[in-house]
Amino acid sequence: MDIKKKFKILIGKQDALRSPVEDSQISPEQLSTDPAVAKIKEQLRDPHVDQEILESIEETYYSSEDFDTSEYELQKLPETLDLQQIDADRGRLRGQLDVVSRKVYELVLQNHPAYATELQRVMELQRTLQLAGTICGTGRKQLMKARESFTATSLGLLANYRKRHQLMGLLKSLHTIKTLQRTDLRLREMLEEEDYSGAIQLCLECQKAASTFRHFHCISELNSKLQDTLEMIEEQLDVALSKTCNNFDVGHYEKVQTAYRLLGKTQVAMDQLHMHYTSAIHNTAFTIVLGYVELYSGTGSTNFQKKQYSDLCEHITVESFTPCLTDLCKALWEVMKSHYQTMLWHEQNNKDIAETEQTSSNVENTFNRRYVKQKLQHGMGRIWQDVQQKVKTFILGTDLSFFKFEEFIQVLDLVNRLIEIGEEFCGSKSESLQDVLKQQSLNYFRNHHRVKMDELRMFLENEGWELCPIRSNFNLLQLLEFRFMQNWSQNSSGVNSPAKMDAKQETKTNLGTGYFFNFEEKCNPFDLQPEEEEQEDVFAKSMDRDGFDDGSVESDSDSDVPEELKQEYIDEHTGETQPNHRRPRTRSRSGFKSVPIVTNTSLNILRVMGRYMKMMTILKPIAFDVITCMSQLFDYYMYTVYIFFASDGPEINDRTMNNRLKISLQRIHESLIADETVPGINGAPEERTDKIPQAHLSPIVDLSNREKLYGLSERIVAAESLVFLAEQFEFLQSYLDGTIPQNKKAFLQQFYSQTVKMAAELRKPIYRVVSTQAIDYTSLVYQMSMVKWDVKDIMSQHNTYVDIILKSFEDFKFRLHEVSRHVPISKVVHDTLWEHCVRLANRMFVEGYANAKKCSNEGRAWMQLDFQQFLTKLEKFVDIRPIPEREYVETYIKAYYLPEIQLEVWLQDHKEYSNKQLLALISSVDHINRKARQRLVNMVDEFDKNRR
Amino acid sequence: MSETYAALPQGREQDYKDFLFKFLVIGSAGTGKSCILHQFIENKFKQDSNHTIGVEFGSKVVNVGGKSVKLQIWDTAGQERFRSVTRSYYRGAAGALLVYDITSRETYNALTNWLTDARTLASPNIVIILVGNKKDLEADREVTFLEASRFAQENELMFLETSALTGENVEETFLKCARSILTKIESGELDPERMGSGIQYGDASLRRLHRQQQQTRRPDCAC
Repeated sequence: MDIKKKFKILIGKQDALRSPVEDSQISPEQLSTDPAVAKIKEQLRDPHVDQEILESIEETYYSSEDFDTSEYELQKLPETLDLQQIDADRGRLRGQLDVVSRKVYELVLQNHPAYATELQRVMELQRTLQLAGTICGTGRKQLMKARESFTATSLGLLANYRKRHQLMGLLKSLHTIKTLQRTDLRLREMLEEEDYSGAIQLCLECQKAASTFRHFHCISELNSKLQDTLEMIEEQLDVALSKTCNNFDVGHYEKVQTAYRLLGKTQVAMDQLHMHYTSAIHNTAFTIVLGYVELYSGTGSTNFQKKQYSDLCEHITVESFTPCLTDLCKALWEVMKSHYQTMLWHEQNNKDIAETEQTSSNVENTFNRRYVKQKLQHGMGRIWQDVQQKVKTFILGTDLSFFKFEEFIQVLDLVNRLIEIGEEFCGSKSESLQDVLKQQSLNYFRNHHRVKMDELRMFLENEGWELCPIRSNFNLLQLLEFRFMQNWSQNSSGVNSPAKMDAKQETKTNLGTGYFFNFEEKCNPFDLQPEEEEQEDVFAKSMDRDGFDDGSVESDSDSDVPEELKQEYIDEHTGETQPNHRRPRTRSRSGFKSVPIVTNTSLNILRVMGRYMKMMTILKPIAFDVITCMSQLFDYYMYTVYIFFASDGPEINDRTMNNRLKISLQRIHESLIADETVPGINGAPEERTDKIPQAHLSPIVDLSNREKLYGLSERIVAAESLVFLAEQFEFLQSYLDGTIPQNKKAFLQQFYSQTVKMAAELRKPIYRVVSTQAIDYTSLVYQMSMVKWDVKDIMSQHNTYVDIILKSFEDFKFRLHEVSRHVPISKVVHDTLWEHCVRLANRMFVEGYANAKKCSNEGRAWMQLDFQQFLTKLEKFVDIRPIPEREYVETYIKAYYLPEIQLEVWLQDHKEYSNKQLLALISSVDHINRKARQRLVNMVDEFDKNRR
Repeated sequence: MSETYAALPQGREQDYKDFLFKFLVIGSAGTGKSCILHQFIENKFKQDSNHTIGVEFGSKVVNVGGKSVKLQIWDTAGQERFRSVTRSYYRGAAGALLVYDITSRETYNALTNWLTDARTLASPNIVIILVGNKKDLEADREVTFLEASRFAQENELMFLETSALTGENVEETFLKCARSILTKIESGELDPERMGSGIQYGDASLRRLHRQQQQTRRPDCAC
């Protein structure tokens, strides 16, 4: 089998060796020579045997390619080797190998020609192929040449042409883009020229144009740039819009509005505009206040820029307040005026549009217009609120209470004008400004009043209670301070005063309604104050401390010449000397009509009141507080007069003092008079109350001199000046009533009925002090006690004590006369004095009679005689009829005659007598028995208990 | 001391620190007393001025020699008929302006009477400054400066000529008078604590005094 294998390998070798070498060189002749060798061997063999041998080859030899024949044969060997067997096998195997080898050889020989032909054909094919390759190569070469010379160039031409065409288009576009880019510059120029609408239009066109070139890369950039520009335009527009807040210009505004319309942002513009107004108001206010603060702070060490507006306002100094306020008002006025003009423009514009468009106007436009209108109208309120707020903060930042009055009035005037403007601007009542005014006015006035009250106290403490010589027809209207009321008093019974004031106001507001109308031009309503304000002038005068309006009063007084007194008083005015000028006084005791008695202090009060009232006309919101303060002036004067002149006498029972007067004085004491603090440094921490300490009488006033009737002249001046003051107050009542709100009127009425009306009542306690001390009543009682009343005869001559008391009355009368040389003693004063004297004398009579331990019928008649004598004489120099308390004495005397039963009733009915007096009466009666007397005594004792 | 304090209006006079002086303006009618006062207080001329009735009042805080002094000024009527009314205000005045009109010899001649009144009715130590007003009417002058200053010298008065119209020397007059009072206080010639001196201590000097008193009192207590 090895042979077969070897053969196979051999063939393989041959193939492997030959084929690379062969190629086309191996000639078919070479191949056909080989089989000659094999032919020789074949002849030696028998084909049948060969067949048999071939068939005897075990099947397994053909089973597989890598069958290991040797191993197979070896394994087939038995355990015990038998050489024979082995040899036989070997022989057999050899034979088999031979046969196989032969067989293979034969087969190779058989197939060789076929192989050679096949090979020849292959060679042939190879040759043809080589030929085809060459043809192909030449073809290609030629083709290449053809292409190079024809197709490529023409196609290139075509392509280039097409490209050029495209580039030409591109160039056009680029040109447009370039112009687009250049328009940006133009846009800026236009913005500078404030041609907003043109700019926007242009910009929008550019955008449109740009959108057609959207396919270019650069366009997106350009687009965004245009968008930026548009935004910038809008911003610029916004700035332009904001400018209209401060300085409205029709042309400018129109441009801006058109621009916004182009942008389709009319509504936004309106919203924006109002924001601008808000910030314009803030900025304006801030800048102005800052300017003043920095100007006046001098050092500039602190950084005011960073401060809040309200903090800044607190840094405003007193000097800079008014100019700053004026500027603030002016500036804010400008802003408001701009807004007003904006509205005006829109109104005008709407009209124009309505006229031109008529029916064609579309819905959106009308909606826009309505929106704008509403917005503007709403905006007015807001702007006004802002303005008010700014001014309010500013005003509240400074304490105005130490301002001079004119300055303060100027401030008020400015604010009032602002309020009027506000009213005209948007019909606002400007509550917050009114509030500020009220607050500051009140503050100012309180302070002013406090100073005035202190001044009043000082006046009182320096007051000599001398009569201040003034004209006999004097009333407060002659004071310069009351000049403003002269018209009122002339045509009024006081009723029409409020109406008149209203009328005055009306004309004023009428005048004022033109603020926006009048000031559309460049002037500012806050510029005009000095000459425009007629009131200012009046108030300047109010600060003058002056007396008479000489001109008018002089002519007035000439008409009532009968009051000769005047002559004396005016002589220094006219320069004439009146030789008889002493006369009127001496003869005038009863003839005194009502010569006004005025002290320096009461005159000062009148002046202060005049000033207060004038303040009131300006400080209307605090009119009531002013009146309260006026009442305090009166209260304090009245109280002081009472303390000085009515409470210094000997303690007497207060029955003569009017109860309401007492209550009023008590009220004044509690509400107005500060407690005397204990003198010393420890009392130092003072609270600022509205109370002021009680005044002390000037030491030069002597109230204890008997010769001078215990300061009667001073008392008269004091009491009568108070009464005169009260009269003047009453004169003003209707006027004052017209100035205060309805709900406060009760206060005024109460003040008048409880205080002013009580002034005259104060006469009684004041003059009583004199009356009690001027006559020695106790000695009268003593004299009477000397008389024995149990006389048995009817006496025809009165007792001497009557003469004595009459004498002392005459003395008193003389002294009164002396006093009246210096001070007019009016009938009322006279009567009051005498009434007191008589009353007191009468009481003393009763007291004296009650001292009679025993009394006879005749004695009783004597008493009557005495008293009758007293009355007869008295009536000669006392004018009062009936004689006061005459009954008091007479009834007491006559009670003596009553029988027991009637006496009992009488005792019960006449409690005006003291128990002592009643008991004395009972015990002196000698016509009733002891038992009855005891009963009556017991009864009177009961009274006593009941009284307690 | 306590007396002085009690007379202070409590809690209201915080605007002056050291002293309060009571001043008086006297002189014949029409010499311009009220105008001088008005000029001093309001810094302007009072145009339509009438005769003063009785007395009027004005006050101002001034700074004299570093001290804050409140001047309490009583402006009296010059007319004879008011003499009795105005007299009560003389009492306790620390300083006085005796005013005459340089264009009216009559007012100058009346000076002696006014001076006597002032010296007798006010405190004897009263500091008086003679004031020749209406200096602006030089053309109508009837009283020479020299004559008046001689009069002032003889009567130990200070002297200034003023114009209420222009305001010339007006403030100076008050300041001069106040300064002189202050000097007298410092030299001990005037005792503010004496009754009727027309001088009151302000808050600041009161406090100072109080402190001094405590300091002087302490050693006493130790003894």
